[in-house]
Amino acid sequence: MRKLFGSLMALVLILSFSLSSYAISQKDYIIIGTTDKIASLDPAKAYDYLSDNILQNIMEGLVKYIPGTTKIVPAMAKRWTISKDGLTYTFYLRKGLKFSNGDPITAEVFKYSFERVIRLNQEPAFLLSDIIKKIEVVNKYELRIHLKYAFAPFINIMAFNVAYPVDPKVYPKDKLYNGIPVASGPYMVKKWVRGQQIELIRNPNYYGEKAKTPIILVKLYRNANVLYIALLNKEIDVAYRTLLPQQFSQIQKNKNFKALVGPSPFIREIVFNVKQKPFDNVNIRRAISYAINRAQIIQDVFNNQVSPLYTLIPKGMWGHKPVMPHYNLKKAIAILKKLGYSKKNPLKITLWYSPSHYGSTEASLALTIKNQLEATGLIKCQLKSAEWATYIDYWTKGIMGMFLLGWYPDYFDPDDYMWPFLASSASPQMGCFYSNKKVDELLLKARKETSIKARTKLYYKVQEILAKEAPYVPLFQGKQRVVAKPNIEGLLLDPVQIFRYYLLYKK
Amino acid sequence: MKTYIFTRILLSIPMVLIILTIVFFVLRVLPGNPVLAMLGPKAPPQVVKAMEHQMGLDKPILVQYANYLKDIAKGDFGKSTVTGMPVIDELKQKFPATLELTIFAMIIAVVIGIFYGTFAAYKLGSPIDVSARIYSIFVYSFPVFWFGLMLQLVFGVWLNWLPVSGESSPFMTPDKTYTGMYVVDAIINGQWDVLKDSLMHLILPSITLGVVISSIFVRMVRSNVILTLSSQFVVAARARGIKEKTVLFKHALKNALPPILTIMGLQFALLLGGAVLTEVTFSWPGIGSYLVSRIHARDFPAIQGTVVFFAIFVAIISILVDVINAWINPRVRY
Repeated sequence: MRKLFGSLMALVLILSFSLSSYAISQKDYIIIGTTDKIASLDPAKAYDYLSDNILQNIMEGLVKYIPGTTKIVPAMAKRWTISKDGLTYTFYLRKGLKFSNGDPITAEVFKYSFERVIRLNQEPAFLLSDIIKKIEVVNKYELRIHLKYAFAPFINIMAFNVAYPVDPKVYPKDKLYNGIPVASGPYMVKKWVRGQQIELIRNPNYYGEKAKTPIILVKLYRNANVLYIALLNKEIDVAYRTLLPQQFSQIQKNKNFKALVGPSPFIREIVFNVKQKPFDNVNIRRAISYAINRAQIIQDVFNNQVSPLYTLIPKGMWGHKPVMPHYNLKKAIAILKKLGYSKKNPLKITLWYSPSHYGSTEASLALTIKNQLEATGLIKCQLKSAEWATYIDYWTKGIMGMFLLGWYPDYFDPDDYMWPFLASSASPQMGCFYSNKKVDELLLKARKETSIKARTKLYYKVQEILAKEAPYVPLFQGKQRVVAKPNIEGLLLDPVQIFRYYLLYKK
Repeated sequence: MKTYIFTRILLSIPMVLIILTIVFFVLRVLPGNPVLAMLGPKAPPQVVKAMEHQMGLDKPILVQYANYLKDIAKGDFGKSTVTGMPVIDELKQKFPATLELTIFAMIIAVVIGIFYGTFAAYKLGSPIDVSARIYSIFVYSFPVFWFGLMLQLVFGVWLNWLPVSGESSPFMTPDKTYTGMYVVDAIINGQWDVLKDSLMHLILPSITLGVVISSIFVRMVRSNVILTLSSQFVVAARARGIKEKTVLFKHALKNALPPILTIMGLQFALLLGGAVLTEVTFSWPGIGSYLVSRIHARDFPAIQGTVVFFAIFVAIISILVDVINAWINPRVRY
């Protein structure tokens, strides 16, 4: 026992040592807290938000978005040309580009990186493998890419992480790389404690403008509650993704923090399996879309932190045309009555949702929709839930007739909001099984067309058909939210949802 | 004794094999395709098929099972579908954090259990005894995450004394990693500020877990000490005029300890798995929260690997407990 007391006393003594002050000055680093996780920092595999976002700060591709816009500008390629038939893209690289370890970045490196992504065939690989036919190195600084078919959003894909170059000396040809990434962007990774934190420092070999803060530390939290407490406890300087709506509202009232809201390309929708009864009846789908009160959902479930959406293309993106019917209970009732439903013989349906994949608000969202549908007095809606892995399995097998889904784009082009949802070849993967020859024709034409004006017209037409046939009910568009200590500057909530650490600094 | 140890090890093999088999088949019976969970709805069907082929999921289930056993025998737990990393490497990274938390929680639980339980038994029927009984029922029924959250609010947010999450403060990780346990590594490195920081981070999660577990120990120690206090040898010791403190700790508690130690040993193994909620509440980067997140992703290799890892660990602990028991008490040997 005495020994035990001795040990305890020693522990107390150790605890009473004064904590030596950090060697680094407070202004030299910013700590960002998040509930997201890092799966892989190999561009051939990264396909979740945080992995992608870290890559967007430590790597760069041939082209990039101007911060705060959806406009694409040259990055490692100083310019590019597109052949008249839209099938060949030639990129002219800057000279003297280097990775963080000093290895050169040339056209050969890009060819190696793209072919590696296709060969490894991981999550984001289809973005390249579906479109690229051949990659050709014209010379050290000239890269030519031949496409299988004309695809207007190809340049947007080149701005995505899957098209970032990797060092052939470090990243194996036919294996994923799990070590510390070799950087080509404003930051490089200094230390990565998996599942806990990642420390980024300035990349001395980056050709562009240097990052404003020398060190960025990204800390990972298990859930919104811990992140919220860590924020209140001043453990972090910035909280980005994701506090609960109620927590964010609380912070907005707290003078010790600043809270910013910005646009997001994230959308939510109800999906109907149009092959399954009763959702194979377009009138039922239309009645349901009339019965949905988006304003109430936004206020009651999300504390006004999302905005209503009346088409699949988000607001702020060209081609957006809000075509879906607004809330009209009378019309919903009239359609249902016409179909022969009554209080004694109500329409019996099931709404599926995934309880955790879209955060803890999902159950409330499902319940609110159920109540809205039942407010017609002619619908009995049952709620069912399944965990994400099961949920995907169910919708691809066509088990679920009506379910909640969300969509986050890979490339910022209306094509990514139309093709996967409405093209006959893609919609079964979405659990919708929608097929319409006219829509397929319009979508293919829009892919091949290079003029934005002409493409906009085509997408308007597709959206008009979407409104008539209602295979989906778009619900709302997300908003980005960030909370920071008052001395943090450079917070930019980008429409393409890249959180740029290299712009952040302390006042 | 050697035969006994050998037999115990031999008997543990079928146990691990049964667990491994159950997990393997249950995962495949449950709905949810790991490839779809990994790729999401955006991947074209041919990519899904190619990935299924790559992972061997298109083979007959018995072939998959045979391959799995073959790999396990070679010490290959497969690669995680989420990160693409070898599962064994991920487990090696996560396990030390869980082990560290469990050891500290166990120390807290044992200290509370032994002192509170012994005094309650000694003062049988007194307010201390009543409070011990209330404590063990009350604390056992605590939801771990709620208790953790309360501690975070009081000591983290309101009083601002202690950190509320993670294993360390920014830039306060050990320079060199030897064991993966920050406290041990900090001592080996001689980084006293890192040691202090790690201990500060351990306080709230280990109190949360330790206090909840201590309720079982308080009850167990109390009833065992009550039993030994009524034994003949205690009466004899008292009659000889030996000090009450000595009677209590040197005679009664010492004799009550063996069965308690057995249960504590097993509890330690179980605690490793039971740390899940604490790990989630405190963003503790351990194996518990790893397993939960991988179940959501249907990461077959990671789930199987973790369960087998746990099974082997529990088997080792129970063998150790049995061996210690056999060593103390030769009657239990084969």
